[in-house]
Amino acid sequence: MDEIIQRIRDNFGVLREHRQRDDLAEVWIEPRHVLPLLTWLKEHTPFVQLTHLSAVDWLEDGEFQLTYLLTDPVGRRSLMVAVRISREEATAESVHTLWAHAVTYEQEINEMFGIHFPGSPRQGVPFILEGWDDIPPMRRDFDTVEYMNRHHPSRPGREHTDPRRYIGQVVGEKGYLHD
Amino acid sequence: MASSKFPLAPPEHSRPHAPMGEGCFLGETERQQPLALKEALAKIKNWFRANSLWVMAYGTGCGSIELRPLTTARFDMERFGMAMRPTPRQSNVLIISGYLSVKSLKRVIRAYEQMPSPKWVVGLGSCTINGGMYWDSYNTINRLDLYVPVDLYIAGCMPRPEALLEGFGVLMEKIKAGEANGWNHYLEQMDWYKENQKKLITDWDLPDYNW
Amino acid sequence: MSFPLKLMWSVIGILVAIAYGLLISGIIRKVMARIQGRIGPPVYQGFIDLGKLLVLRTATHHGVMFYLAPIFRAAGGIGLYLLIPVVVGVPALENFSFTGDLLLVMYFMFFGSLGMALGAAESGHPHSSIGISRGLSQMTAFELPFALAVVALAASAGSFSISDIVMAQQGGILHWNLFTHPLAAIAAFLAFLGMNMYAPFNIVGAPQEIPAGPPTEFNSSFLSLMMAGRSIFAVAKMVLFMDLFLGGATNLLEVLVKTFLIYFWSVFVGAVFPRFRTEQSIRFFLGWPTVAGVAAVLLVMLNR
Repeated sequence: MDEIIQRIRDNFGVLREHRQRDDLAEVWIEPRHVLPLLTWLKEHTPFVQLTHLSAVDWLEDGEFQLTYLLTDPVGRRSLMVAVRISREEATAESVHTLWAHAVTYEQEINEMFGIHFPGSPRQGVPFILEGWDDIPPMRRDFDTVEYMNRHHPSRPGREHTDPRRYIGQVVGEKGYLHD
Repeated sequence: MASSKFPLAPPEHSRPHAPMGEGCFLGETERQQPLALKEALAKIKNWFRANSLWVMAYGTGCGSIELRPLTTARFDMERFGMAMRPTPRQSNVLIISGYLSVKSLKRVIRAYEQMPSPKWVVGLGSCTINGGMYWDSYNTINRLDLYVPVDLYIAGCMPRPEALLEGFGVLMEKIKAGEANGWNHYLEQMDWYKENQKKLITDWDLPDYNW
Repeated sequence: MSFPLKLMWSVIGILVAIAYGLLISGIIRKVMARIQGRIGPPVYQGFIDLGKLLVLRTATHHGVMFYLAPIFRAAGGIGLYLLIPVVVGVPALENFSFTGDLLLVMYFMFFGSLGMALGAAESGHPHSSIGISRGLSQMTAFELPFALAVVALAASAGSFSISDIVMAQQGGILHWNLFTHPLAAIAAFLAFLGMNMYAPFNIVGAPQEIPAGPPTEFNSSFLSLMMAGRSIFAVAKMVLFMDLFLGGATNLLEVLVKTFLIYFWSVFVGAVFPRFRTEQSIRFFLGWPTVAGVAAVLLVMLNR
């Protein structure tokens, strides 16, 4: 693991890194290095399996983070390759040429976050949201409450309770948080 | 949070002369029979219907995990004549088990309309009544009865299998008394239901009625 | 016996057979439930289901064959029942059996399923088509050992008449074909498992795979007619096996006991076995059952 991370540092440059456990590490790299690095990892290291591809919306930074979770099935180790891309452009390179099943992940991220993967098939094909006509719902500037009130009215008489208020009360009285 | 998009109260049920839940629909002419005979026949028919409920085995959400124990040794719903059927053509009860997304609502409408009447819908869990704990998610239906007629709600999150059995008992009593008339309401207020459905499903590609 | 009287007795016989078939299906569900540790439905559940299906509305149209399929199915069952003498020697219960009826019976066993196949295929549901292709291939497979067993019995009795085969078995339990032709009995009773389509040979309606199978699109009154057809078909098969192997019967009580035993042979097997795949099922029937059938025919030929 250390050796592989050292080689990533030497050859590709690592912006930031984090060792969670002996068998789990995370490296942040630049967007232009994604395809070369993942190709190298798949071809020349034991990290041959793409277990997961997920996205996070960092609204305050104006960036999306894409996380590729690679697994070494023999050594039972995982390596997370994370990359920050610009929120305005919202375009990333597709890895479906390396792993065919990445198409589904990219289709879902495209639908839920509006990140475009040029060249990936099934971009823009509805995955869960058939007939969606708003901004992608997993972006953090999407107001779900307002959307629900507009599209899915509640039954009259429903009472709302803001969980934050109650959590503060209970925790404050018992004195667990602020003692 | 009243909304101007939907009329929130469904129109009143208007067929006082239909005995015991025996409705007629879509141009079928009523047979000329004395009312007493009609009611007696309806009573017998409803007894048959109530004692042989075939449930559509279709789980829309987490609630369907509570349906499975009903078929096993501990709760055993077959002793009430209930059975799971895999096809809408042969089922009488459609259970909306938990959250319904817009995508699955389309399939539910299709399955519901394909079932032969009389048919009943059971809404399972708080989420079908009022959205439940994820009421402000982006893709869940908050009120089921705007889109399909619900004969019985079983509240809870999730209701235990005992609650389900109790609910089915109530449904049987309602059917025997001729009060479970949601399917009649759907056919009479078809325009209202269709309008609500089409407001929600923006890429409407279903036929007007799925025969 | 005059023809109208005979017709009346046959109609009564058909109705009783339907009722008996429904009752047996209820008992099966009860037995299965008890085996699985459940209480199970009441034994008259089959009648309630039939009544409920009759009072449902029907609003589907898939074409003419779709309407005809349940009729074919019921006609196959009724035709099969009418050709088999229930109690040989009692004219009211002999139905319309005649010399050489065994050949026609062999044909009629196919008839209902073929009509069903045409109708279910027209409904257009993929599960129907898959179920039909499975069912017809399995039927072709189990027909072979069954036909060989029937040939062995017919050659031994020197007649294709079911009544003659029954008469040839009179004179005590040890004269039954079950004991005088054990190889033919093995072939036929293994084929019987396939005919009844309980596990391990329930590949046609296979739950969890192609749920419901061929009748996927059939609803309400279509389904009720198919249920009635299926129950009379089951009764006819049981009576046929009773006539062929268990020496027929001299009264109705004997009919009840013997058919019950025959049917529950397949139910008890079905309660404890998992399902075969299609090709496993076909290989099974073309394996040892067929070998037993061929051996039975050879034995009869050598003994002549």
